[in-house]
Amino acid sequence: MIIEYHRPPTLAEAVQLLQRKHPPTRPLGGGTALNFKGEEPLAVVDLQALGLDAIERQGNRLQIGATSTLQQLMEFPDLPSALGDAIRRQATYNLRHQATVGGSLASADGRSPFGVAMLALDAQLTLMPEQRTVSYGDFLALREEFLTGHLITWIEINLQVELVTESVARTPADLPIVFAALARWPSGRLRFALGGWGKTPTLVLDGQGHEGLRLAAESAFSAAADEWASAAYRSQVAGVLAKRCWQRLASGI
Amino acid sequence: MQVTLLINQTQHTLEVSPHETLLSTLRRLGYFGAKVGCDTGECGVCAVLVDGKPLNSCRLLAAQVEGHVIETIESLGQHPHQGWKQTEGLHPLQQAFIESGAIQCGYCTPAQILAAYHLLQHQPNPSEAEVRDALSGVLCRCTGYLKPVEAVLRAAALLRGEAVPPLAFGDRELLSLPVILQSPSDADGTAQFPSSEARTQTKILPKVIFSPQVPQHQRIGKPEKKVDAVKLAQGKPAFAADFEMRGLLYAKVLRSPYAHARIKRIDTSRAKALPGVAAVLTWQDIPRVVYSTAGQSDPIPGPLDTFSLDNKVRFVGDRVAFVAAETPEIAEQALKLIEVEYEPLPAVLDPAEAMSPNAPRIHDEPEYVNFAESDPTRNLAAHIHIDIGDVEKGFAEADYIFEGDYEVPKVQQAHIEPHVALSYWDEDDRLVIRTSTQVPFHARRILAPVLGLPIKRIRVIKPRIGGGFGGKQEILIEDVAAHLTIATGRPVLYEMTREEEFIAARSRHPMRIHLKTGVKKDGTITANAMRVLSDTGAYGCHALTVTGNTGHKSMALYVGDGEYRQRPNIQFHADVVYTNHPPAGAYRGYGVPQGFWPVERHIEKIARALQMDSLEFRLKNALRAGELHPFSTAWSEGREPRPEVIQTCGLEECVRQGKAAIGWDQKFGNPQWHEVPGKPHLRRGIGVALVMQGTAIPYLDMGGASIKMNDDGSFNLLIGATDLGTGSDTVLAQMAAEVLGVELEDIIVYSSDTDFTPFDKGAYASSTTYISGAAVTKAAQQVAERIRLRAARMLNKAANGSGEVTPEMLTLREGRVFAPDGRSVSLAEVAHNALHHEDQEQIMGVASFYSPVSPPPFAAQFAEVAVDIETGQVTVDKLVMAVDSGVIVNPITASGQIEGGMTQALGYAVCEEMCYDEHGRARERDLRHYHIFQAHEMPELETIFVETYEPSHPFGVKAVAEIPMDGVAPAVGNAVLDACGVNIDDNPVTPEKVWRALQAQRQEQSA
Ligand SMILES: Cc1cc2nc3c(=O)[nH]c(=O)nc-3n(C[C@H](O)[C@H](O)[C@H](O)COP(=O)(O)OP(=O)(O)OC[C@H]3O[C@@H](n4cnc5c(N)ncnc54)[C@H](O)[C@@H]3O)c2cc1C
Repeated sequence: MIIEYHRPPTLAEAVQLLQRKHPPTRPLGGGTALNFKGEEPLAVVDLQALGLDAIERQGNRLQIGATSTLQQLMEFPDLPSALGDAIRRQATYNLRHQATVGGSLASADGRSPFGVAMLALDAQLTLMPEQRTVSYGDFLALREEFLTGHLITWIEINLQVELVTESVARTPADLPIVFAALARWPSGRLRFALGGWGKTPTLVLDGQGHEGLRLAAESAFSAAADEWASAAYRSQVAGVLAKRCWQRLASGI
Repeated sequence: MQVTLLINQTQHTLEVSPHETLLSTLRRLGYFGAKVGCDTGECGVCAVLVDGKPLNSCRLLAAQVEGHVIETIESLGQHPHQGWKQTEGLHPLQQAFIESGAIQCGYCTPAQILAAYHLLQHQPNPSEAEVRDALSGVLCRCTGYLKPVEAVLRAAALLRGEAVPPLAFGDRELLSLPVILQSPSDADGTAQFPSSEARTQTKILPKVIFSPQVPQHQRIGKPEKKVDAVKLAQGKPAFAADFEMRGLLYAKVLRSPYAHARIKRIDTSRAKALPGVAAVLTWQDIPRVVYSTAGQSDPIPGPLDTFSLDNKVRFVGDRVAFVAAETPEIAEQALKLIEVEYEPLPAVLDPAEAMSPNAPRIHDEPEYVNFAESDPTRNLAAHIHIDIGDVEKGFAEADYIFEGDYEVPKVQQAHIEPHVALSYWDEDDRLVIRTSTQVPFHARRILAPVLGLPIKRIRVIKPRIGGGFGGKQEILIEDVAAHLTIATGRPVLYEMTREEEFIAARSRHPMRIHLKTGVKKDGTITANAMRVLSDTGAYGCHALTVTGNTGHKSMALYVGDGEYRQRPNIQFHADVVYTNHPPAGAYRGYGVPQGFWPVERHIEKIARALQMDSLEFRLKNALRAGELHPFSTAWSEGREPRPEVIQTCGLEECVRQGKAAIGWDQKFGNPQWHEVPGKPHLRRGIGVALVMQGTAIPYLDMGGASIKMNDDGSFNLLIGATDLGTGSDTVLAQMAAEVLGVELEDIIVYSSDTDFTPFDKGAYASSTTYISGAAVTKAAQQVAERIRLRAARMLNKAANGSGEVTPEMLTLREGRVFAPDGRSVSLAEVAHNALHHEDQEQIMGVASFYSPVSPPPFAAQFAEVAVDIETGQVTVDKLVMAVDSGVIVNPITASGQIEGGMTQALGYAVCEEMCYDEHGRARERDLRHYHIFQAHEMPELETIFVETYEPSHPFGVKAVAEIPMDGVAPAVGNAVLDACGVNIDDNPVTPEKVWRALQAQRQEQSA
């Protein structure tokens, strides 16, 4: 249950509040995922007054303020279209206008198309107060730790990276059972991430060649069972989607 | 904390707690246009504009929006005429929603309109895909989104200053009048997410094939606007929870964490001591009255096996205690302070084990009252065995026997307005219950003993309902509020959470079905037998009647050909068992979708095995007009059966029309069409299912209506019938207007209030247009007769001896009464004469109707799919339904029923199911995991009406509401078979099931 609401005007004040031990204090982005009615008393620090809602292109880099909404990002002119599709897939119209990029990355579970796509794109997060940059992959590995007393302020992606996604679900807009995202850098670097299962998106591959891609995808999901699908199915489909992603990249579709 | 909010240009400074949501603040301030649907951001009906953007107010803290501009639906438009004050009128979006039939229950309408408003501010010329995307965040369970999308496109055109084609609707020819504003984009059948290229064609009016038997009418057959649409488009406080009351308490229910347990000890002292708690009730506090929650006529055709509160819990989510408190939060907190010691009991979670001798007994209470063959010692809630002809003889006469096993899942009605009831004592110490119910009169009758009150001291008011689909044909919540009002003397509101809807409300009965069919080489069916195991869950509400209808409708369709037409051999056997799952109940279709999944999958397999054209095979064996409904002599909802001959059957024409619309002849059996160019992993498939339903329960269902005339020649139509968003108020008003010769706006409809409106059994069994409509027609005829009498006298008096007329010579039209020679008096003059001038009387009529027959509507349902043969993913690209529902009173509301029904049934086909773990705990507890179709992922929908004239009804109507639930799933299953050669025998057809079947097929082929 939220027992305190703060809207600090400066980052310094926000950080100060977030570093309190009592009551436990969390950043508030759009609020779509934050549990308002949870058991534990919680203080929230609303980030809306911090001026973190800009999206700027700097050369090939896109700097995304953490409180930009998913809709703002989707509408950014030079966004890879597959990332736009992943956002649309993540959240419907109303939610996209409310959910923030920072909040979405912070709370992404395995079934988050946006999280999977951003993992494939190797998004870099700037964390306060240290102002250090961590990759989204590293962030996900130690999410709880990073989220205590910290704040994502900026997110950066490289606009030269090509992205393709594929998915399988019961209906076109249902939560994906398997979601796959493959990114390719001009250098030939390939990064492949999977979703549809687990607590976080899964990084499958980061390297140069595509030869082992299908196998890597299958093995990454070889134990990906839950109440929604068996591991045998997910593993096989992960392989199929990996193959399709590569074919689309290779053929430029 | 104190916040200042700017809402609709008014500043409100108020105290809020830090966790208070904007939704709760808005409703506290009386902005009821923002609705409660899920509280978790999934349904979007709480959306309001914040700085112009549509945001879900249940996911916003009130504090978060301080300093922002908030606009609710209340800021958008107004009724154009407010006495001497003219207003700007409704916003074009509201107007378009009303005119296009985009509003059914209206619960999601304000949010849809606001989302569209935002879109049009930024994109005045949106594509259909953009409109669908804008509506994607607002779930609608009624419309199938087609008409809302069309409404937004129309409004956009209007706002751009373009001429928008009126909803013209010609008369009585073979009609095909789609209003297409956006050309359908190319359908390539791909399985990609259709975000940028929605493939849905938009049409407001369905195609109607008129029957030459249908006479010319003024109001019947016209796409009239819904009579309640204006208030719903404005988000007026029309629903049960949109009510302000001093001293209101909020109820919450403590629910069982166990599937089966005895309550050994329950201590409420800490909960009661919590400040703000007004009452805590457990089984020890209220009388122990056994009843059934099924909202059906007396006597309830099922066991009495339920108590408001009991010392035993029978499913995870069963009731343990009720709390009433000053705020919902305090009530919630109090639940946590109730100490309960449970003695867990072994649970029955597999229906196949329910009747085994060692199975734990779920109902061991001495008060249990049997109905028919229910037997709680064997966990048997109902048993049905029906023999028509002699199936063994029929099997012996067959050349082939086909057997198959099928399964259908438990699914949820998922009406967007949750169950909600408000109760209070009025000034006469009568208990008033304002509730979102489909059955106000049954609710009153069933609640009376439970509450210890005579019927006459209870008044049930049914306001607008935000969807029901059978879920509200249940006395599920009213007792909670009422017990707490009795305990506290104060008004109490009980509104189920979305999680409670999933774990504790009713659902469709899951069933396992075995089919055995005998067929001759020429395709004549000689015998058909169905064996059903149905899981009613912990209580037997609707157990007998739902499952009975599984047989009664789905097994009646294929009687066989030749001599078998007169003497079909049909057997239906069903055991309906108790388990420790949440109870099933009534859900649109009422057992029939469960029957048509196996029947139509099975028939398809037989046709293919016989290498017969599957439609020819179906029509060869299908029931025809002039034949006896085979079940009519065998079973009637647990009551005495009486023979019934089918008078009208448009099935063949439905097949013809449906085939043409979907392009069956070009696609079926055409290998080229089945391939998708450039997508080697995709296969297209086309499938069909024929279905029938019923129209009301014969000799039982009764509806009443009363009509009174006002000074200005308008009429109050009072009906007990419960419009749950279907448009029945409108359709009934059209019938009254037809008889009385007036415009629809001259009929003021009110439904329903047990104090003021005549009895009506309620909204179920697809009966309102037929049963209540006939009552309205009769009442209107009485009124018309009084009007003619008086008008004749007035005309004769004015004529002074010349040109005498008799009442029979007069006709009522255009608000006047006409003599054959053209002389006329207005209805207002007649009314003034009656009320004030001479031989004064209140011109009024009261009538009721019940039917000796239940004429079945028939339909042909077609589906087109694309199957990904590498992943098993199925994408449904198009659904076409051609329906014989008799005469269509209102093509807009009727096609809305079909579109919405097909959409709901599409969920049954591909994604909806409720699953439980080994402890009986639900997998689906919210609308994120229980996926219902959204606006931007819909296939193309097409509705065709093939009119027949049903002679048992004054306007020739049959039912339309339930039949769209029946055929979509099997048509999709058959289309998947057509696409890739695999049979999925248990719906929903999910990707993994298809993939497994494809794997097995490949193994078989390689072996
Ligand atoms: C109907 C619905 C469907 C959804 N479907 C999916 C889905 O399919 N997959 C999925 O993964 N998620 C899903 N979500 C969750 C979704 O990811 C989040 O709702 C949303 O994207 C979070 O954004 P927000 O700004 O509203 O976050 P908030 O609710 O404000 O915050 C979410 C979490 O992130 C933290 N946080 C917010 N901003 C920051 C920041 N700048 N720095 C550090 N921490 C921060 C918060 O403290 C909180 O713990 C769904 C949610 C809803 C309501």
